[in-house]
Amino acid sequence: MDDAARPLRDSGGAGTVPAAQPFPLPRRAAGALLGCCTALLGLLYFAVPGAALGPFLLWPRTHGRALALLAGGARRLAELERWRRGVFFGDVFPVHRASGRAVLRYVAARTWTGVLFAFVTGLLVFGAVLAGLLAAGVVRSTTSWQELLPQAALGGVLLFLDLQGLVSLGALDARLAREHFGPSARELLEQRIDELAASRAGVLEAVDTERRRIERDLHDGVQQRLVALAMLLGRARRNRTPEQAEALLRQAHKESRDVLTELREVAWRVYPSALDSLGLEEALGGVAERCVIPLRMEFALAVPLPRPVETAAYFVVSEAVTNAAKHSGATHISVTVRGDGNRVSVRVRDNGIGGADPAGSGLTGLRSRVDALDGLLHIESPPKGPTTITAELLCA
Amino acid sequence: MLAEDSTLLREGLVRLLAEEGHDVLAAVGDGTSLVREAEARTPDLVVVDIRMPPTHTDEGLRAALDIRERWPAVGVLVLSQHVERTYAARLLSGGAERVGYLLKDRVAQVDEFLDALERIRAGGVVLDPEVVRQLVLRSTHSDPLAGLTPRERTVLQELAQGRTNAAIAQRLHLSLSSVEKHLGSVFDKLELPSTTEYSRRVLAVLHYLKS
Repeated sequence: MDDAARPLRDSGGAGTVPAAQPFPLPRRAAGALLGCCTALLGLLYFAVPGAALGPFLLWPRTHGRALALLAGGARRLAELERWRRGVFFGDVFPVHRASGRAVLRYVAARTWTGVLFAFVTGLLVFGAVLAGLLAAGVVRSTTSWQELLPQAALGGVLLFLDLQGLVSLGALDARLAREHFGPSARELLEQRIDELAASRAGVLEAVDTERRRIERDLHDGVQQRLVALAMLLGRARRNRTPEQAEALLRQAHKESRDVLTELREVAWRVYPSALDSLGLEEALGGVAERCVIPLRMEFALAVPLPRPVETAAYFVVSEAVTNAAKHSGATHISVTVRGDGNRVSVRVRDNGIGGADPAGSGLTGLRSRVDALDGLLHIESPPKGPTTITAELLCA
Repeated sequence: MLAEDSTLLREGLVRLLAEEGHDVLAAVGDGTSLVREAEARTPDLVVVDIRMPPTHTDEGLRAALDIRERWPAVGVLVLSQHVERTYAARLLSGGAERVGYLLKDRVAQVDEFLDALERIRAGGVVLDPEVVRQLVLRSTHSDPLAGLTPRERTVLQELAQGRTNAAIAQRLHLSLSSVEKHLGSVFDKLELPSTTEYSRRVLAVLHYLKS
């Protein structure tokens, strides 16, 4: 899977948290060979204690006990397999308890896979020995070229089939482990549903928080100013001398301009209309202009973003910048927006005192916004700073 | 004394009151400081914004109730963001004298605001016309107010704003005796014991409407 197409949040589609890089081939080969040894263990286990317990398994009275005994040993073998997959293949499986029957089923299937793998590996070794003999014959001139060609052709085909078998068995081994240890399709669905429910609740919470903030903005800002303005006018009307009235009117005039500015600011904080008409870059320019701290903006998008992503990116920047301006004591903020058409990464960094609280209302709101788009939000804010907030969003 | 968290408005109020010849003893930005100030120098009257820091809910109201309880002689005018019947009721529940509940925007109508201050100082009850309107206009089937004539309603509205019978008569251009007649029938319809103390009657009306 190429990097660009991989979802940001792998909800275990592969049943594992994918390693950043697959382990190197020699290591995986060692794991596969070890798998052959564990398969032999499995064979022994089924042959000796399995055979001994066989009659008791058939007897209804003792069936339960015998099965439990047999499954107990199989469980240890399964744990060994889990360790092997983890160490040599980088699979990370959550610890979970399967039923005795499921463990037995897995160990049986896994044993056969391992035995087959050993057999196919044996064939490969055998083929290599034959090829060696043939090559030696050619060198010692006991084999003629006419004899060599059909042999080599046949050997090539067999080699291909053999390698194909090894690859397939390796995949089968991985799949068996995944199906047994990893979450089932149903669990994956449930996990996804939980995720969606949580993000939905988060979105609602975020919406309410926003509304509260808007109400506060209107009440504490615009409304107070309007009341003060009306009061000025009322005082002007009551005043005895024209000079006093004149002064109050002048004050009221200035106040009315301030009310307008305030109203514009509030409207902008609610939703920057530039986002719709002029796009993200212009809207972010507005954030930079409003910011009291020097702000450097780096903006590199290959293609325009879909609307929801654009809005989320905008709010990540504006919220992070507002937070930085309010709490961090930073003297410089840098904002980077980069996108390649598949995903966009938004980074806001300030050189302030750090210690931002990821559970604070602002950052929680941001997380909800990003979660709703299946994105990722990283907050790094060690004490003494610097604070870096990064959002990764998918454009699909 | 003033408690109002918006600096702008606080300053405006201080100026306005000073211009009108009132002596502003203190102007603070939260409920706790107001109570502290009131303790230091008992004012005639406090004006309190309900919504103040830290929680921006009902700090002002709690401060006002506290002051009412400790110094009953102090007049209290509470300014509210919206008409909140619960707040009005809480404010009036401790005996309705020298108390007022106004919408914050009413401050902008300077004359009305100053008039309200005077009426509270004189021992009256002032309710914002809007509060009264909302209380009076609630007419459900169980609402005895539904049985009032429009004229009686108007009279009740005026009464609820703490005006004396004479003032009501003057405002509605009625004779004093017809105001008394209207009020009498209002009290009958609302099944309220008739007393001469109008603030108690307002309170009774309020309590009745609240139920």
